[in-house]
Amino acid sequence: MGLQDRLSRELVAAWAIAKKDVAIYYLRPGTIMGGVLFPLFMFLAFTAGNLSTPAALIPGLISITTLFSASSIEPVSIPIERRTGTFDRLLSAPISLNALVLGESLSGLLYSVCIASVVFVAALIILRTPIVSIVPIVLGVLLSSFCFATMASLFAAYPTESPGDIISMVNLVRFPLIFISGVFIPLAVLPSFGQMIAYVSPLTYANDLIQGGYHGKTVLNPFIDLAMLIVFILIFQVVANYLYKRFND
Amino acid sequence: MQAIEVSHLVKKFGTLTAINDISFSVGVGETFGFLGPNGAGKTTTIRILTGISPPTAGTATIFGHDIVRETVAARQSMGIVSETSNVYTDLTGWQNMMFSAQLYRVGRSERDKNATELLKRFELYERRRDKVHGFSKGMRRRLTIAMGLVNSPRLLFLDEPTSGLDVQSNIIIRDVISDLVQAGVTVFLTTHNIEEANVICDRVAIIDKGHIAAIDAPERLKKTIQSVQSIEVSFDSSSSTQLDELRKIPMVNGARKEGDKYRLYTEDPSEVIEGVTAYAHAHNTRVISITTLGPSLEDVFVKLTGLQRSGGGVTAID
Repeated sequence: MGLQDRLSRELVAAWAIAKKDVAIYYLRPGTIMGGVLFPLFMFLAFTAGNLSTPAALIPGLISITTLFSASSIEPVSIPIERRTGTFDRLLSAPISLNALVLGESLSGLLYSVCIASVVFVAALIILRTPIVSIVPIVLGVLLSSFCFATMASLFAAYPTESPGDIISMVNLVRFPLIFISGVFIPLAVLPSFGQMIAYVSPLTYANDLIQGGYHGKTVLNPFIDLAMLIVFILIFQVVANYLYKRFND
Repeated sequence: MQAIEVSHLVKKFGTLTAINDISFSVGVGETFGFLGPNGAGKTTTIRILTGISPPTAGTATIFGHDIVRETVAARQSMGIVSETSNVYTDLTGWQNMMFSAQLYRVGRSERDKNATELLKRFELYERRRDKVHGFSKGMRRRLTIAMGLVNSPRLLFLDEPTSGLDVQSNIIIRDVISDLVQAGVTVFLTTHNIEEANVICDRVAIIDKGHIAAIDAPERLKKTIQSVQSIEVSFDSSSSTQLDELRKIPMVNGARKEGDKYRLYTEDPSEVIEGVTAYAHAHNTRVISITTLGPSLEDVFVKLTGLQRSGGGVTAID
């Protein structure tokens, strides 16, 4: 089997897994409503408390939305599929673990992009939030969604049939990320120790890119932001692949 | 080339050895039964052969493809039907079939054709647009098997295909297995139903505590324990003490009640028949029927695995 054929097979299988997940988990009314309500409540919480102006809030809100929406379903769906035995169907299919992880992540990516788009469009139409360039926003949302969805796939490798186990672990990472990634406290204001921690967070690079699209300036070179997000995706993919292999034993 | 070739397979979980140096092969077109009590290592063996779990030592090949090094190629020729009906209940029957076909990269036209044929064969076509959560247990089982066949596999792993099903589903599934065998598909079957294995399988392996205790054709296995013969007898009247009294007949090694009949195990059937006749006279009852039986595959299973019979059958067979 040639490399091209192999790659094509893997992508077809990954896409089939993503479509299956979207049909079963993401298109549920509760999931859609939850996805839309989360950024709305975050927005209301910050504006009601006069913590920030709406326009200044939107880039960070989009960053947080991608983090939470991209990593919200796999920690639930994969343990449920383990319990029902359907995950074994994926594990025994003629595809690699990379294709499996990619498929699971793709569905999270699609969901996250849709929810982030709702926030972006609502901000544009309702708040008339100005943007400088849409390109970094699109790239930031796409790559960060992919990155956080892959991160969720990684956590879901833990061999449990209880979604609560995975969600607890994911939240241990997600919530601290908000505070160390320059979303609420700009990177430049962080102490040097805080900045060092910020640079190991993928949310830092995603937020920096998206902020750049809205404000026209980034703390880091945008290409570094893009490169770092790609590096994080690759790291999460490789580690997830390793963990699924190890935990299947 | 064999369909399955297993050589010195070992699987350890920490200090526990689940599979201990087993070797066997399954020929192309053969129907191979894999029997064993709970925890004997059947599921572990299947997980290794389907590439889900790697072996600690030894090798396994599927149509010449090493399951560890050439996992994808080995799996491409397989259909896998697991013990649980692992279908997506939030998808329709048709969507389940399509998803399974896409995972195996079955082309679009072949996908539609195979799915249509299989759903009709399993009497699910009329319900193809319904979500599976409305299906009965038997329908889900049939759909699981249909999904395992959508890629037209050369080798089918069937884990407890008919366990706990209604008569209609049982008949359909057994007919399909029979057709697959006729079509030259290799079938690797695990089942609780030893009689099913006896009827369907060309050969069976009995695994116990991680070892292969025996591997041969069912009839040849039965011949190895000719000493375990039995008499099946029924009387026109029964009493609560009848079983104990029958156990006391000379040359009876064991007895159990099977519905309205008794089964008496012996090495000397003619001696026991005389004893049964004498018992009937003495207790003023009549023998309605009496049959001499050779050892069954279940007898072989019980003898090799050291299981205890309780009441009307073998306990703890998985």
